Amino acid sequence: MTEPAIDQAAFDRLVEMTGGELEFVDELVDTYLEDGAQIVEQLRDAAARGSIAELVRPVHSLKSSSLNVGALRLGEQCRSLEEAARNGAVPQAAEWAERIASGFDDARRELLADRERRAPSR
Amino acid sequence: MTAAAADPDEIPGRVLVVDDTPFNRQLLARLLRGLGHEPVEAANGREALDRLRDPDAAPIDVILLDIVMPEMDGYETLAALAADPVLRQLPVIVISGVDELDSVVRCLEMGAADYLPKTVDPAILKARITSSLARKRLHDAERDAVERQAATNELLAIMSRSVFDRDVVLSAIVEAAVRLCRADYGVAYLLRGDAFEVAASAGGNAELDAFERDHPIRPGRETLVGRVALIGTPLQVEDVLGDAEYARTEGTKVGGYRTLLGVPIEHDGIVEGVLALTRNAVQPFGPGERALAVGFAEQAAIGIANAGLLETIERQRSQLARFLSPQVADLVSSPEGEALLAGHRREITALFCDLRNFTVFSETAEPEEVLGFLRRYHATVGALVVEHEGTLEHFAGDGIMIFFNDPAPQEDHAARAARLAVAIRERFVDISEEWRRRGHVLQVGIGLATGYATMGRIGFEGRYDYGGVGNAIILASRLSSEAAAGEILVAQRTHAAIDGQVRTVPAGERKLKGFSRPMPVFSVDPVGGDAAESGNALAEQAS
Repeated sequence: MTEPAIDQAAFDRLVEMTGGELEFVDELVDTYLEDGAQIVEQLRDAAARGSIAELVRPVHSLKSSSLNVGALRLGEQCRSLEEAARNGAVPQAAEWAERIASGFDDARRELLADRERRAPSR
Repeated sequence: MTAAAADPDEIPGRVLVVDDTPFNRQLLARLLRGLGHEPVEAANGREALDRLRDPDAAPIDVILLDIVMPEMDGYETLAALAADPVLRQLPVIVISGVDELDSVVRCLEMGAADYLPKTVDPAILKARITSSLARKRLHDAERDAVERQAATNELLAIMSRSVFDRDVVLSAIVEAAVRLCRADYGVAYLLRGDAFEVAASAGGNAELDAFERDHPIRPGRETLVGRVALIGTPLQVEDVLGDAEYARTEGTKVGGYRTLLGVPIEHDGIVEGVLALTRNAVQPFGPGERALAVGFAEQAAIGIANAGLLETIERQRSQLARFLSPQVADLVSSPEGEALLAGHRREITALFCDLRNFTVFSETAEPEEVLGFLRRYHATVGALVVEHEGTLEHFAGDGIMIFFNDPAPQEDHAARAARLAVAIRERFVDISEEWRRRGHVLQVGIGLATGYATMGRIGFEGRYDYGGVGNAIILASRLSSEAAAGEILVAQRTHAAIDGQVRTVPAGERKLKGFSRPMPVFSVDPVGGDAAESGNALAEQAS
């Protein structure tokens, strides 16, 4: 892996916004991971059915939360897919869905690893 | 930078966060709480509208609205809000990504007030919410002001239509007070004997009305009305269940009320009644609402005074000499007379004159002496009234009420009234001197006021009289009581009308019974100096 999935500066900004309350950050991350996992499934379903229009809303949602949680690369991927889906042109939708799923997996791993690192200090 | 702490300058608001992404909702809610606001969450437009239209839920001040959502998206939500006459006033801040500026423009065109970048920045969030809340508050204040103005107009219309019916006036006042002070129930109690009884109520059911009617309240600590009667100032009980002294528990059970507000209805400094408002939730009345309630209680006092004035006129008419002025005599036989007699609003100048020390005089002098004096006084003033073309309303012992500009229109009614006042004072110098020689000090005091009054036939079958009811009449009577011996006191509006024609000097601000604020008063040509001279000049001018 070359670049990290989670941009440290963006994640730090989120921590700052919450007033440095790491417990709340953990809650937010949990929400992100639960919701994200569902969205990934919705994307896979829609792609499998070839329903491009149904990609828009879930990927839009994942885009905004990814950008806020610091998963900037995933956020940009979502942005590209959303734009393509809005234009109705997504060749190889299933591949797109897998790319998002894998980006989400990377983000999850790093978010959870970061939490592990912080755990002993709390 | 840490999350902004609650800013003391920030007015807290209830913010509805509408976003289908739980992460975003949670983050925004957290930040809003950090800013001192109360977040409420909805996952889509449908949920948001349900929440906004829930009559039992606390009202929302600002909406943060995501655009792309399932069920009902941001555009549909904006359209639904715009179509709702109540909800369309709520400021909506659209949440949008930097790449969605087209959508933002569309939302702003659809009535959104502002937008917020999707990548949350607490400083921007704070600024946007603050400005939207300020706009909402301004709008609310405007709406309240318009509503209050409309209610005041309605009230004035009812009061001028039904001046002679105290209960109709009180009902209108209580109804308006309940509505505008956002109370659940309201009662106007009036003192009858030693207990306060219901005179009018609004907002309650038959059972509650019956309970209140059957349970008059005596002054005392155990009820709110009783406390107001004791203390004579407005009082609030924020929660009756938390008030150990409060003992009207049966009423609480029937009415289900928790927060109580009571305001005295005062007349001549005496608590004649209490206006009570209740809420079924523990929700204290705010300063604006309390001020409004005080205003309504003052209106009630004026309504009662007007009705009382009428009763006084009725009573005195049978006891005292009456005088039908040529104006009224003409009117009765004229074709338009019937219409005028039916009652109408008109601006008049009222002149009230009465005697200082008359009570002492009437108690110490022989009855024949008193009658003789009154005959002389009435004849003198009566002749002057005819000369100045005033309308004599009544002689009530030592009190005489005259008005101008009705029934016959008189453009210079205020000046005419002032000239008559000066002439009465002039003529009274001789009468006074005559009685001083017999050992009685009798001096006249005169009050003048200009304003709208309801004029017309007052009375009942076979006993009609021409008269008026209104603030100007009460004010003239108060000013005449306030006047020192030989003094002519003039209200501000009359003064404005006669300025430049009749010489006056400011006589300070006076607190008059039944009027909430002290009012500027002027004195006509104060006695002393060249008063007599200029008084003569005016009298000559008038004749």
